[in-house]
Amino acid sequence: MVDRIIVMGSSAGGPRILKEIFSGMPKLNAGMVLVQHMPRFINQSLRESISRVTEMTVAVAEDGDMLENGKVHIAPSELHLQLVQNRHLRLIKGEKINFVCPSVDVTMMSLKPMDGMKMYGVILTGMGRDGADGIAYMKRIGGVTVAQNEETSAVFGMPKEAAATGCVDYVLSPVEIRERLIQWIGVAVGR
Amino acid sequence: MGKNVLVVDDEPMVQYSVKRVLESSGFTVACADSGPACLELLRKGFKGLILMDIVMPEMDGWDTIQAMVDEGLNEGNVICMLTGKEVPDVKMDQLKEYILDYVRKPFDNAKLVQVVSYYSGFIA
Repeated sequence: MVDRIIVMGSSAGGPRILKEIFSGMPKLNAGMVLVQHMPRFINQSLRESISRVTEMTVAVAEDGDMLENGKVHIAPSELHLQLVQNRHLRLIKGEKINFVCPSVDVTMMSLKPMDGMKMYGVILTGMGRDGADGIAYMKRIGGVTVAQNEETSAVFGMPKEAAATGCVDYVLSPVEIRERLIQWIGVAVGR
Repeated sequence: MGKNVLVVDDEPMVQYSVKRVLESSGFTVACADSGPACLELLRKGFKGLILMDIVMPEMDGWDTIQAMVDEGLNEGNVICMLTGKEVPDVKMDQLKEYILDYVRKPFDNAKLVQVVSYYSGFIA
């Protein structure tokens, strides 16, 4: 079972920024979920784009998948993604929330506080306020929270709304996000 | 990798400069000077990357994207905004699932080519 979880949410400009964040990223000692607002036909292209630049294993999430250290699960379009007991993934058909499905808020707010579990929430470029409630929730349950900085955001909407909650610990550039995650989490054993 | 680009912009100078920059990098570039003209090209079968302006007379970029979605014309096409609007208006909020990026005019040529090259790789 993983004891570190990263949830990262992004919208417009996200695919480009995700590529930058994952460039040269080693296998982190954490399970990771990405929620990118995008049309369904982009799902595999985004997976391939990220997979090409990182040592982490990258997959489009399927219902029932277990979180694994060193693995990134991308939320598929048109389904909300929840974490069940911080352990496996549940994909749910549902109404759009914040005009989107999947919603970053839904994923972040499915996390559960657990002894010994460390959680990291990251809100990247995008329009609107999806992820703001989620990041506030993650902070309340003891997570470390990050928003992308304005200078590097294609649209400084979601990171701004997240920061406006007062629950963001760090405002960082994509390169700084990568470096901090490596520093905080460390590289998976057996790399 | 898809190499087709559709520039939707009512400014002839923008159409010209984007076309020149991208064609010199090997892209095939079509232009539409309005939302309805864009929709017509899509109905005729255009597939590729769409660089969409926001402020246009008659039908703005958001309404054009909404019409694309309503007709299913967005399927298989990557949409990036290319606009002079520094901050997008709230109409984008309801369409953000269909828009992969937001690039501002005036643009840096090298950055534009980089962005277009990257997203062209997303098109089957």
